[in-house]
Amino acid sequence: MDLIHPHSKRDVMDALRGASAADTRVLIVGGRQHIDKGNPSEADAELWTTLLDDRIAYDPAEMLCVVEAGMRVHDLRTMLAEGGQEWPVDGPDDATVGGVIAAGVTTVRQLRVGTMRDTIVEMEVVTGDGRLVKSGARTVKNVTGYDVHRLLTGSLGTLGTIVQIALKVRPLPKTARTLVINEGGLELGRRVLDAVPLPSAVLAEPDRLVVRLEGWPEEVEEQAAAARSIAAFGETEAPFPEACFPDATTVAEAAVVPSRLAQLLAGIDRYRAIMGVGVAWVPFEDEGALTKLRARAAELGGIAPAIRGPGGLGDAPIPAPEVERRIRAAMDPAGILAPGRTWST
Amino acid sequence: MAALDDARTELVAALGADAVLHDPLALRLYARDASMVEGSAGLVVFVRSAEDVVVCMRVAARHDLPVVPRGSGTGLVGGATPIADAIVVVTAKMDRILEVRPEDRLAWVEPGVFNLDLADALRPTGFTYAPDPSSQQVSSIGGNVNTNAGGPHCLAYGVTSAHVLAVDVVLPDGSVGRFGAEAPAAPGYDLRGFVVGSEGTLGIVTAACVRLTPLPPAVRTMLLDFAEVEDCAQTVSAIIARGVVPAALEMMDRGIVRAVEDFAHAGYPTDAAAVLLVEVDGLPAAVDAQTREVEAAAREHLVGTIRVAADDTERALLWKGRKSAFGAIARIAPHYHLHDCVVPRKALADILAGVYAIAQRHDLIVTNVFHAGDGNLHPLFSFDRSVPGTLERVLAASDELVRLCVDAGGSLSGEHGIGLEKRDFMPLVFTADDLDAQACLRAAFDPDGRMNPRKVLPDGARCGDYAAAALGRDGALPEGTWI
Ligand SMILES: Cc1cc2nc3c(=O)[nH]c(=O)nc-3n(C[C@H](O)[C@H](O)[C@H](O)COP(=O)(O)OP(=O)(O)OC[C@H]3O[C@@H](n4cnc5c(N)ncnc54)[C@H](O)[C@@H]3O)c2cc1C
Repeated sequence: MDLIHPHSKRDVMDALRGASAADTRVLIVGGRQHIDKGNPSEADAELWTTLLDDRIAYDPAEMLCVVEAGMRVHDLRTMLAEGGQEWPVDGPDDATVGGVIAAGVTTVRQLRVGTMRDTIVEMEVVTGDGRLVKSGARTVKNVTGYDVHRLLTGSLGTLGTIVQIALKVRPLPKTARTLVINEGGLELGRRVLDAVPLPSAVLAEPDRLVVRLEGWPEEVEEQAAAARSIAAFGETEAPFPEACFPDATTVAEAAVVPSRLAQLLAGIDRYRAIMGVGVAWVPFEDEGALTKLRARAAELGGIAPAIRGPGGLGDAPIPAPEVERRIRAAMDPAGILAPGRTWST
Repeated sequence: MAALDDARTELVAALGADAVLHDPLALRLYARDASMVEGSAGLVVFVRSAEDVVVCMRVAARHDLPVVPRGSGTGLVGGATPIADAIVVVTAKMDRILEVRPEDRLAWVEPGVFNLDLADALRPTGFTYAPDPSSQQVSSIGGNVNTNAGGPHCLAYGVTSAHVLAVDVVLPDGSVGRFGAEAPAAPGYDLRGFVVGSEGTLGIVTAACVRLTPLPPAVRTMLLDFAEVEDCAQTVSAIIARGVVPAALEMMDRGIVRAVEDFAHAGYPTDAAAVLLVEVDGLPAAVDAQTREVEAAAREHLVGTIRVAADDTERALLWKGRKSAFGAIARIAPHYHLHDCVVPRKALADILAGVYAIAQRHDLIVTNVFHAGDGNLHPLFSFDRSVPGTLERVLAASDELVRLCVDAGGSLSGEHGIGLEKRDFMPLVFTADDLDAQACLRAAFDPDGRMNPRKVLPDGARCGDYAAAALGRDGALPEGTWI
């Protein structure tokens, strides 16, 4: 396995142009935190983005920051905290910003802060054949041309190397509290969700419920009181979100509409579900369990890719295979970027 | 014309005579949208279902005819303006709300549903559809999706793309697909995200699955007035700098305030240089806290009076002032040209000064009412087209305006889109490689280049392999196309 470790966008362009010419298959790697997500694909070389980690621009008054894609989430968090702000995406510290975007990471607090894909306002990407392509603008709102960055988000490194992004950031909440109770299940989760106005997250496990509240102190106080009217919550100072099943070697991330979580998770004894959103993480022991979960998710109109360990994405049908094939050809004409890694390729 | 005649015969046979219009009046009516570009329609087809749309696409494909989707035609950049005798497919009659599922926080709607009708229908469930373009009484969800429409409340809640979970699309070859999903994740590339804001150039949206947003428990609306435009503009940044993101933050200058007062009698101060309409929402405690911060920021910047709506009636009145702006400007002059540029917030004060200077240089009346919190300007030139030379002056002023905003680090459009009006400005913000990539990706959906041709991308943006023919089907654009 060859290693490409570029220092600059220009290096990335040269490397990919060369790889396309030589038919070298390339796996793009950020912080390796989400590398398991995707179908197995063979590569001749890895391209590491981690040296592309410069801060390009950050002006808190604009609520925008521009960074290179290899910047670690932890470093971005530190930089933004100095401006009293955050990128409202719950990625692990060691992940790179580009990796979080390419992997399409789920935002745990999306009830309140929205989804990751809507935070990306501008992107520079190097295509499989080494062209630098920009889309979007450094403004909070923009309808100017085609949003190429939408396609790159969640593309698992199959359409190009994300080299730079402008992100919409938001003020850090004035207060944040995490309520917890060792009593659980989706039913209690649903009641809490109904009773507490505008929570950031309600996470249900079979025997535990975690409620994340963020906002102005008085507001959070009111929400906490509403939660406590449903159950006798305690409180934790642990960082939020907690690592997801750190002891499990294999985890799937199922997605169904929120009202079908109960059907999806019936009989499953370990899970963590985001109430009101419809995402559930399920550790699985063997392929049989994963296949069963996937079949059930499919019946319920959802999917269940593995995000840790082997297992891949599953074989859910994509809506317009021809369109996706042409998109891929437009961005990676030689087909060198992790062939087979995503649904369509 | 033979192809068009054959297409008409086939469409009449499939959809009925009353669904296919080709009389001169209809062709004239559908030759433009709310912009000033006049195009030419070949046929106008009213579709009632996705199946009807498939028929249209197949017929158009068979006869190699261009197709232009149209919702309500309130678009301001010529997006729904047909060129080269295209078939105009009107989705206005697909106007049913198909399904409302509060438990999943989603609803399915047909594209012809009016934005405000959807919000009204949702209200009893305790939810709303958050994007609220000023045209919401008449603009359609299909149009909103395809322009990625914004509105006053998009500052806190995000623009249309954040509220569309899935779209059903008929592609130019007549095939259908559901892009995105009800579930929070979907397999494949995010085609949904690519279609939102694509200005009808990739396919026709026949249904949209939209996100429901809980109605806020409490809301407070304030009107702040300022003796200097600059103080007003700086208050916008000062509010954000305090870590407050209001639900809405709208600015109006003296010219528009006076026009609105004559019309809506909302009690706006007509002697102020500019006013800010600020709305904060959330839990009651959060509303109080945000109000305090907004007031403090405004005081730092020499606010005149701070009027806080005492009740829902007064709140509605304050909003009436804002929302009737476009009705009111008809009193200034018979024609108007409404711009849409977006700049970094901190540039607002300078850009506004620049806007006034440009208007003065070209001897035009300009008023401003816009989404200040987003840095999204809407300078509005009022004029009388019948006065010789006026149009030319408007054009020249518009050109300068676009360049001014781009030079300040802004972009061509915050919410109205590119359409025909701004396509030739695209090279100001994108390189040839950027534009070629966009052309290729567009061609991935529409290899034959029949879908709303000549829009968004300037002629010359090419896709090396298979889209050479996609753009530039024939000669020059119709006269007056710029505006
Ligand atoms: C007074 C006034 C105020 C306005 N205020 C705002 C505002 O605050 N915010 C804002 O964003 N806009 C605003 N607009 C612009 C306009 O209302 C929006 O762009 C709106 O989204 C257009 O909707 P429509 O149904 O009229 O679409 P149309 O004008 O019919 O079409 C708009 C575009 O979408 C395409 N399209 C329409 N329907 C479909 C479909 N079903 N499938 C595929 N493509 C389709 C068309 O081809 C065209 O490119 C305003 C316009 C006016 C006149």
